[in-house]
Amino acid sequence: MKKALRDQWSGIFFALPFMIIWGVFTLWPVISGFIISLHNWDPLRGSEFIGFKNYTYLFTSERFWNAFLNTFEFAIIMIPLTLVFGLLFAFYLYFSKSKTKAFVESALFFPYLLNVSIISLIWKWLFDPDFGLIIEFLKMIGISNPPQFLNHPLWVIPAIAFASSWWLMGYRMTIFRAALESQPFEIVEAALIDGANKWQIMLRILFPLIRPQFLFATVLTVISGFDVLGQVMIMTDGGPGRSSEVLALLLYREAFSYFRMGRAAAIGFILFVVIFIFTLIALRYLGKDVSK
Amino acid sequence: MRKTKNIRIFDVIMIIIAILWLIPVFWMINTAIKPTPDIFTTPPTWIPEHFTLEHIKAVVQNWPFIKWLLNSILVSGISTLISLFLAILAAYSFARITWKGRDTIFVILLASMLIPWQINAVPLYFLMNNLNLLNKLISVILPITAMPISVFLLRQFFVGIPSELEDAARIDGCNRVNTLFRIIIPVSGPALAALAIYMFIFSWNEYFWSLITLQRVEKYTLPIGLNMLQGAYDIEYGLLMAAAFLASIPVMIVFIILRRHIIEGMSWSGVTK
Repeated sequence: MKKALRDQWSGIFFALPFMIIWGVFTLWPVISGFIISLHNWDPLRGSEFIGFKNYTYLFTSERFWNAFLNTFEFAIIMIPLTLVFGLLFAFYLYFSKSKTKAFVESALFFPYLLNVSIISLIWKWLFDPDFGLIIEFLKMIGISNPPQFLNHPLWVIPAIAFASSWWLMGYRMTIFRAALESQPFEIVEAALIDGANKWQIMLRILFPLIRPQFLFATVLTVISGFDVLGQVMIMTDGGPGRSSEVLALLLYREAFSYFRMGRAAAIGFILFVVIFIFTLIALRYLGKDVSK
Repeated sequence: MRKTKNIRIFDVIMIIIAILWLIPVFWMINTAIKPTPDIFTTPPTWIPEHFTLEHIKAVVQNWPFIKWLLNSILVSGISTLISLFLAILAAYSFARITWKGRDTIFVILLASMLIPWQINAVPLYFLMNNLNLLNKLISVILPITAMPISVFLLRQFFVGIPSELEDAARIDGCNRVNTLFRIIIPVSGPALAALAIYMFIFSWNEYFWSLITLQRVEKYTLPIGLNMLQGAYDIEYGLLMAAAFLASIPVMIVFIILRRHIIEGMSWSGVTK
């Protein structure tokens, strides 16, 4: 009895420092963000409660839907690209006995350590329409009129998504590789004896075993897919026109260029809901067999 | 026989992919050390014919680059230390002490990992403004010191520590604080190192929130500084690549020395379930 009470207090005591900072800088901003999103925020006249008008405005605004679709397009390209290549490369590292695989792993992982500004500047240069390495390469292999990736409304989002996958893939790969290596090797050996080929082993045996880690990486990638900002801001600043303006960039502009804080907060909340829905979908499809 | 041959083919393919993967990094360095006329040539030169430090000098002399570097080190160092401290205490509580409400709070913490940074930007801006912390490095540091993922990862490790260790210490008269510092922390070295690496890289690369809160040039961290340089130089790729190169040198050095530890440390976050 006395011990239970003591545990109650020491439990709270140890968790409290973290919970206070988390409460002030994560929980409170979420709540107050929702409240701000219900206001027409004005620094001079004071803010006025307008209910869901910011949301209805956004849902009828062409600019919002453009940003929404751009974000969606980015996520739809970047997320599978990053996860699939991360998984394939991890399988390679798992099966290979070559001494060169340490080099391969380091090379594929390294970009993840560079910050978003560095990778964006590099890729902006690689995609440069006049002297960029990629344009030069395409010309070299005989494509006489290669697309000007970052200056073309059709190509700009796929180009940024591709660069982002290059950047983010390595971390996912190491998660999968470590997950594979923590599985008992006897399972693979048994399957080999039973005559299964490598693809069957990968898809039917190993992949189900590392599903929890795949789910973790998926959630992580969904988040970085939908809240993409830095790459877009530095490579194109939303251009050409508004063809790469994503939700986070629109939020940033609403808040800190036009000072419409209420509307910006509403975009933030919509973003949250989108990420939440996609995480639920991922949980549903990837999480269902975990318990079996 | 056939099997080993297959593996070799894949090894060759993967080495080629790995080299292709590094070309962007190579191209950044290559551009940074070439004189401007050599940068804009067709076809591009793979090995610089002329070598120059003019771009690197220009960046260091014309911009408070060293200051940005120090700011970045300060922000990442301090936030890593604080977040380790907070996470150790909280993870210990969630893993090894039974108290009412614990599991509910833990689930809420986990769910909050899904909150995108953007949603917090506007309210956090007001909050920092009210606290008079805008434009101070501490305003970048504070929000990233209490990230649920750090508690989540450490908790998984703490749960796995055999309780006999703790019980023995208890019988010897150790209280909770003593047990944590004498028993739990000493056996958690690898987990703490992994978390420290994870946190350091996360805060080293933090962009969005710093962009909002840091508005004075001498307060910038590296990512924000680089972003501003591009506004100043537009398409002067020699200077931009020199700045990017300078900003990535610390990472390259650390990676070359601690390669194994960094990769292991980062992957650890996914393996704990």
